[in-house]
Amino acid sequence: MKTLAREPDERLLIEAAQNEPARFAELYEQNFVRIYAFFARRVAAREEAQDLTSEVFHQALGSLRSFKWQGAPFVAWLYGIAANVLSSHWQKLGRSPAAEEMELSGAGGEIERSLMLAELVELLPPDQRRVVLQRFVKQQSIREIAHDLGRSEGAVKQLQFRALENLREQLGRPK
Amino acid sequence: MNSHVPAEELDRQIENLVARKIAEAADASPLLAIASELQFLPDPDFRRRLVADLVDQPAAREASFVPPQPSQPRAATLAAIMPTLTGKRFSVFPADHRSFLVSFASHAALVLLIASGIWVGQRPILRTTELLSSKLTYFGSGGGGGGDRSSIPVTKGTPPKFSDQQLAPPAIVVRNPNPALPVDPTVVGAPQLKLPQSNQIGDLMSSNVILPSNGTGSNGGAGSGSHDGLGSGTGLGVGDGFDRGYGRGTFTAGRGVTAPRAIYDPEPEYSEEARRVHFQGMVVLSIVVDQTGQARDIRVARSVGLGLDEKAIEAVKKWKFEPGVKDGNPVAVGVNVEVNFRLY
Repeated sequence: MKTLAREPDERLLIEAAQNEPARFAELYEQNFVRIYAFFARRVAAREEAQDLTSEVFHQALGSLRSFKWQGAPFVAWLYGIAANVLSSHWQKLGRSPAAEEMELSGAGGEIERSLMLAELVELLPPDQRRVVLQRFVKQQSIREIAHDLGRSEGAVKQLQFRALENLREQLGRPK
Repeated sequence: MNSHVPAEELDRQIENLVARKIAEAADASPLLAIASELQFLPDPDFRRRLVADLVDQPAAREASFVPPQPSQPRAATLAAIMPTLTGKRFSVFPADHRSFLVSFASHAALVLLIASGIWVGQRPILRTTELLSSKLTYFGSGGGGGGDRSSIPVTKGTPPKFSDQQLAPPAIVVRNPNPALPVDPTVVGAPQLKLPQSNQIGDLMSSNVILPSNGTGSNGGAGSGSHDGLGSGTGLGVGDGFDRGYGRGTFTAGRGVTAPRAIYDPEPEYSEEARRVHFQGMVVLSIVVDQTGQARDIRVARSVGLGLDEKAIEAVKKWKFEPGVKDGNPVAVGVNVEVNFRLY
């Protein structure tokens, strides 16, 4: 139901972006985490996932005018581009992916969980959010984070612990 | 391990997890499982950079066609062209190469500002609309009053509903209890205007909660004002203002009232958030320009978000107006202000 209700809005957004490319930013914001999550679990390095995500959005923007609304969510079109980008990437590396690695339908659960987690991180108190991003996304050490924040290493560990507890609690909470 | 594992121990395990970039310990602890998933979150900096790159594409493309600069000019040529850089004399005074560097740096900064669109390219367009002469003319406008010259203040109560036309004025003491054509009393104003309703018609501000009275005013209606409205004002509406609708004496442009004119209108800034994603839009603010030419009662009539509403309000608060005039006197007038945020 939620998806159905969003369709007209999404269609309007697509049409707006087709007429005025700067409006593509809104479509990007809506779909960025999903596309990134698709790659993040399939490639080894963060930089690789970022490059592939970037490639998808550049291709999408470049061919947006040819997009025809047929009722399917916009993200489905982006997943199609993502699958092609990933396939080409592996070909360049001389790697043949397993069938399940290219499977889009099975990826839905993990992608939606990443999306939910990203949203929950945004809702964390600012100091906990900062520690989470620096520790897990930037992969900084506790010492580096403590230095950045001007706090003790013990305090940073506590913040990290409380952030994970918060996220666990929120993830366990029925939506 | 359960979720009550000490923070120190959890971090040791996370250290292993981050070092190996695997989620093999995920089953051991729900917290560690979440920690492993967090590694797959995108970097917010990358997210911002990419969107900026995407929306800046045309500019980036043009930049890529800039012809390459010649490698290094020969020293003699350079000296001839830019004597100040090389410190050679080109006038009666010795040249100071520092002046060249200062000039170069300031020009480069200027070019960068223009190219980035922070400066000239993002000046918003502002204009004051023809105001409130449309269907919204009741916004913030006057009020009404009335009464039948009773010695007792009007009874406390609530006004009847607003309507475009008045068939019967509000009355607490009904002079004709059996009219030939019974109709509900109304006050004149936009029908969508809603004020508290009850079974007792009267003035919300009155202290008379016992005795029925139409009030000390005149010319029908109820209250201490005049004409068929309700309140201490003059007109068919409600309140201490004039004319119709509900308000505090604010006029609308037209019908003998001139619209206010902006005489000092510094432009608002673009919000960083909107500038980053090249968002454009028009914020409409409803304001009242009071007798002194200041904007008050500012509210957002059409929002575009991304911090632009706040930037528009911030700017309009600084504006100075020539107030609207009625019968040669400055009066408060409600206006709509369109703040158009466009990128060039």
